[in-house]
Amino acid sequence: MSSTASKLRVCIVIPAFNESSVIGGVVKDVVKTFKNTSYSTEIVVVNDSSKDETADVAKRHGATVINHILNTGAGGATATGLSYAQQHNYDIACTMDADGQHDSQDVLEGVHQIIVRKSDLLIGSRLINNQGMSRVKILGNKGLSFITYVLFGINSTDSQSGLRIYSRKALEQLRWKTSGYEFCSEMLWRAKQIGLTIDEYPIKAIYTEYSKSKGQNNWNAVNIIKSLLKRRIAELLG
Amino acid sequence: MSRYLLLFLINLPFILVAMLGAITQYKLRRSTRQKMIARISIWLIVATGLALAQPIYDWLFSHRLTQTEPLSLFDVVQITGIILVFYIANRTRAKVETLEKRLQDLHQELSIKLSTTRDANVKR
Repeated sequence: MSSTASKLRVCIVIPAFNESSVIGGVVKDVVKTFKNTSYSTEIVVVNDSSKDETADVAKRHGATVINHILNTGAGGATATGLSYAQQHNYDIACTMDADGQHDSQDVLEGVHQIIVRKSDLLIGSRLINNQGMSRVKILGNKGLSFITYVLFGINSTDSQSGLRIYSRKALEQLRWKTSGYEFCSEMLWRAKQIGLTIDEYPIKAIYTEYSKSKGQNNWNAVNIIKSLLKRRIAELLG
Repeated sequence: MSRYLLLFLINLPFILVAMLGAITQYKLRRSTRQKMIARISIWLIVATGLALAQPIYDWLFSHRLTQTEPLSLFDVVQITGIILVFYIANRTRAKVETLEKRLQDLHQELSIKLSTTRDANVKR
């Protein structure tokens, strides 16, 4: 990966937990997509204390690996990756799922879009064009987006999307407290609180048998809602 | 002295301390204006409930919405205990949350530092 001073520096963060069978392909794909672009990129895999070979496989394919000492959940791993990007002065950071659900071309498109739109936080929405998504997934994601709207007043078509692009300003200012999957909604809330501009762009979701088996169960939405409610009440009590 | 007045006077210091705490947190920029208003409102509701305990009881009793005895000394102790527990529980929750956040930050920093140091040693 090149590192010319004039090039815009982009950090691609991939939080991963027990993804050794697919992480290599995901990293390889991102490297290939960003190879002949005008961006200077680094791929950072945050290994959330996996029990398998995730870290070794990711490193072999050219990623920088940060090993979590303890398993914290998707929110904690994402926070670590973005903190790394901030400490290493990246201009833009992206987060994407490790299960191969996201197309690396969509990540590249997101980087272009955030520069053009001058947004602080850009969300890749799977629901603007939801072809290929099962009805259950659509219902679950729409339900959580509605809950996010009710609790935090944020109108997002896909509040749970893992593909997000962050500006330098977002990297410096955006912080959240939850460490599980509920961080997706909380992050939007915090972004709104500190006055960041939030935008969306359409992406496609690739559902393989593997990503379906690793993806979120709709019942997990109950836990997410409980946690968000707790967070909302705790915020009021100080 | 009326037991209702006693109930109010015993609990007033806790309520005042809690409201003062909310204002102090805001003034020291550890909390937002919205949070301060929410916390003060909650304690004001508790204070109003205690101050109006007798008229509320009288109204409920006269409209046959309650058949309970008027406030006893035991009730005063019990209600004070509940308010004290609420106050302590909320303070403890806030402290646990702060500790949790600090632990998360420590884990995050340690993971980044250890991973980058290990990589640098391998390259050497």
